[in-house]
Amino acid sequence: MGTTASQLGKDLLSEYQELTFLTKQEILLAHKRFTELLTKDEKDLPNTRVPAERILTLPELKSNPFRKRICHVFSTSEQKDGSLTFEDFLDLLSAFSDSATLEIKSHYAFRIFDFDDDGTLDCGDLEKLVNCLTGETDETRLTTEEMRQLINNILEESDIDKDGTVNLSEFQHVISRSPDFVSSFKIVL
Amino acid sequence: MVCCGELTLSFLSSAGASMSVLSRPSRMMLLMNPQSGKGQALTLYNNHIQRMLNEAGVTHTLVITERQNHARELVKEADLSQWDALVIMSGDGLLFEVINGLLERPDWEEAIRTPLGILPSGSGNALAASIHHYSGASPVFSEELLVSCGFLLCQRLVARMDLVSIHVASSPRLFSFLSLAWGFVADVDIESEKYRQVGAARFTIGTLVRLASLHIYKGKLAYLPASSLAPASRPSKDSPLQRTESMPSRSATKGPSDSLLLPLDQPLPSDWVVVQEEDFVLMLAMYQSHLAEDLLAAPGATSDDGFIHLIYVRAGISRTALLKLFLAMEKGAHLTTNCQHLVHTKVRALRLEPHSPKGIITVDGEVVEYGPVQAEVHRGLVGFMPSWLLCSMLETVCVCVCVCVCVCV
Repeated sequence: MGTTASQLGKDLLSEYQELTFLTKQEILLAHKRFTELLTKDEKDLPNTRVPAERILTLPELKSNPFRKRICHVFSTSEQKDGSLTFEDFLDLLSAFSDSATLEIKSHYAFRIFDFDDDGTLDCGDLEKLVNCLTGETDETRLTTEEMRQLINNILEESDIDKDGTVNLSEFQHVISRSPDFVSSFKIVL
Repeated sequence: MVCCGELTLSFLSSAGASMSVLSRPSRMMLLMNPQSGKGQALTLYNNHIQRMLNEAGVTHTLVITERQNHARELVKEADLSQWDALVIMSGDGLLFEVINGLLERPDWEEAIRTPLGILPSGSGNALAASIHHYSGASPVFSEELLVSCGFLLCQRLVARMDLVSIHVASSPRLFSFLSLAWGFVADVDIESEKYRQVGAARFTIGTLVRLASLHIYKGKLAYLPASSLAPASRPSKDSPLQRTESMPSRSATKGPSDSLLLPLDQPLPSDWVVVQEEDFVLMLAMYQSHLAEDLLAAPGATSDDGFIHLIYVRAGISRTALLKLFLAMEKGAHLTTNCQHLVHTKVRALRLEPHSPKGIITVDGEVVEYGPVQAEVHRGLVGFMPSWLLCSMLETVCVCVCVCVCVCV
C-alpha cells in the first residue's frame, strides 16, 4: 500500500487517521510538505524514499538537536540510512504530535537517545545526548569533568537498579515525573 | 557534648549569625509528616530520635500530620505557652506550613518568636543544607555514612532567620523562608518535587529534554537594591503614599506590614531599579544559601543577612552555558563563571510581572498562583537553633540529621 504524490485518496486518508495520532488536516499538510521534497521524477513513483539530508532541510527539523537520530529511528529502510517514506514521515509526526501519549513519546525518546541502538542508555549514549545539546565545537562542549559530573547526576537520578545504564522502564519512570516533557517533545508542521 | 556545642557556636558566629542564649530546658512539639523521606520519618523517630531526645532531657510530644495544611491549622490554634520549641520532622514543606500558621495568628508577634527546629528525617532538604553550610562543615548528604558522634543538642543557642513575605496575584500573603523562582528553575523544581525527599540531583534526562527546547520567559522585573536607604518599617502615617493601608492583604492585621511594597497598579518608587531586558530564562530569589540539598545557589547568603539574593539569567544564553551554570551551582561556583547572561544582586524587595500567559512560579519549591508577584524581606523574623545531631544507624546506612531547636528569646 503506497501513496504517490498526486492525491491522497479518501480511504487512505481515513486509514492514516486511524493508525496515527494525526488529524486529517495534519495528514494532508504532511502530504503537501513531503511532496515538496520530491523531485519531478520521484513524484510519479509510489512509496518514494526520501534521503535523510532532504528531510533535514525541513525547518521544523533543521534546528532540532536530535534530528539525525529522529530520522534514523523512524526510517524503515533496510540500509538504515535514515531515509523516510511518506508513511515513515507520518509515524514521525504522529509520535511528535500534540495528541500522542506520554508512553509513545517516552518510548520514542528512548530510542532516539539510544545512540548505539543496544536497548539501554549507557554512559556513551548519555555523553552523545549531552553533546547534541551543547553543540559540536570545542567552545560549546562541556569539559571532561563537567561531563562526568553530569552523567553521574543523571545516573544517580535515573539508574534505579544501579547497573550503570538507564533502561526503558527507568527512563519512562523518570520522564513521567517531568510535567512538560510532552510539550518539549513536539514537532508540529 | 559541651565541646560539640561550643564548636557549633563558633562556626555559626563566624558565619555571621547573631546569637542569643536561653537557659530553660525544652518542651518540644514534634510535627511529623509520616510520608516524608520515603516513609522513613516514623522509623527514624522510633529508632533514634525518641531515645536521643529522652536522653537529652527534652520533653516532647509527637504529632503526626494527616493531610496537607494540617500542621498549619494545628499551629494556628495551638496553645503555644505549652511549648518551648516546635520541631518539624520532615522537609521544607511542613516548615512552610508551620511558619505561615504562626503568622496567621492574631498573636503573631509573640507566636513567631517560638523557636523552630527542623529534623530532615532521613531525607535532605534545602534549609538543612543551608544550615550545614553556615556551620562551615563540608557537604554531607542523607545517604552517606557519617561519623557517629552522639547527640549534640545545643540548647542554648538561637540564631535568626530571614523570612520573605510574598504577594502573588490574588492569593493571600505568604511567608517564605527559602526561595521564589520563575522560569527554568521553577519548572525543574516541580518535577523534582516528588523526589526532593531523596535529595536527588537535579539533572535528569527530563531536564536535558527541557534544555533542548529552552523557553524564554517574558516579564518585567524590578527591585529595591540592598543599598537603598529606605527604612525597613516605615510608619504608615509618615508615608505620603500610605503604603501599609493600600497593600490589600487578607491578613492585613496579622504579620508584619510590608512597608516597602506598593500595590501592583501603582508605579514603583524612584529608588527601585527596573531591569531593562524583558526576556529571561530564569529568575531566582534566594534568602538561604541552598536551593536544594545539592544546589548552592547563593553561597554568600547567611540566615539573617536581611537580603534577598536575586539571581536572573537573561535570554540569549546558550544551552551549554546554562548547563555549565547548573553544574557549577552544585559547588556554588556559578557566580564566578563570568557568564554574561547571569546577574546576581542583593535586594530588599522585588516585583515581577510575567507577560507570558502561562508559566510556573514556585515559593519554597511549591507551586503558587501564576501572576504578578511582589516580595519583601523581613530580617530575622523567626528564630531557630542550629545544631548537629549525628547518629549512627544500626544498619549500614547512616543518616545525617540536623536539629535546629529554637529557643525562645
